[in-house]
Amino acid sequence: MAYQLLINFFLAFIWMFLTGSFTSSGFFVGYILGLLILFMMRRFFRSGGGGFYFTRVWRLFKLLLIFIRELFLANFEVLRLVLSPTLKVQPGIFRYETTLDKGWKVSLLSMLITLTPGTLVVQVSKDNSVLYIHALNMPDKDALRKDIYDNFESSIKEATE
Amino acid sequence: MKQNSKRVNDVILQTASIIIFFIIVIFSINLFFAGHYSPGGGFIGGLMTSAALVLLLLAFDSNTLSKVLPIDYRLMTATGLLIALATGLHSLFFDRPFLTHAYGKFDLPLLGEQTLHTAIAFDLGVYLVVIGVTMTIIQTIGESE
Repeated sequence: MAYQLLINFFLAFIWMFLTGSFTSSGFFVGYILGLLILFMMRRFFRSGGGGFYFTRVWRLFKLLLIFIRELFLANFEVLRLVLSPTLKVQPGIFRYETTLDKGWKVSLLSMLITLTPGTLVVQVSKDNSVLYIHALNMPDKDALRKDIYDNFESSIKEATE
Repeated sequence: MKQNSKRVNDVILQTASIIIFFIIVIFSINLFFAGHYSPGGGFIGGLMTSAALVLLLLAFDSNTLSKVLPIDYRLMTATGLLIALATGLHSLFFDRPFLTHAYGKFDLPLLGEQTLHTAIAFDLGVYLVVIGVTMTIIQTIGESE
């Protein structure tokens, strides 16, 4: 994955030297052309695992969009809870088993959970496999678990596999 | 900095601090070079760099940091003072008063025409002294259990 990005940068620099335009726009044009060449040669990179690297960038961008949507929805949910005349919340802490393997993926998931209002990661277990999450309102913890999995964990898996 | 007494998993703090560390360091270098025409300079740049190192100290511990960066901060302070002193003394060889700065336009390869000024060397001395002193203070306090 990373070396495709390096090749792309290298192609952009070659383009700059060929055209003699050492500007940001020259670099950008070279980068786009290099991206096209890499896209045509994407079957080359099958053996190294992963395929074309820009699909991963696109998936990360999709994760960002999902996060923004969730942020808005959860903010309005918390607003509704706060402004309601009677406070009918059921706060609590529940376990969330995750299957993400690396520490930085678990950190990314935790930050996404924490930044969406109403849920907050309290602690991570020693082997990075269990998150303890505090929720402002959890009448049904399994629904919340499924919500987190569908929105964040599956997207992170997709983007980083 | 207590050893072997960790009951919690700091994975989120460590991942975040590694990423933020590089951003703070590049920002501090920018501050260091910005000192001539815009706010910034050696002092604030050095403080910013030591703040990045302190962030690593908070996320990991002092042993890890000394393994990653085996720097003797007292020597760093001495080096910075020497650089600043040499910058002040060089003008004496050209029959100018102490701390007179020289500057000029130079045609560098790849970079084009740049104005170089000996004040940047003096600032580098200040930068090293600030990092050295800050880190010496923090390490001395942190390791005296």
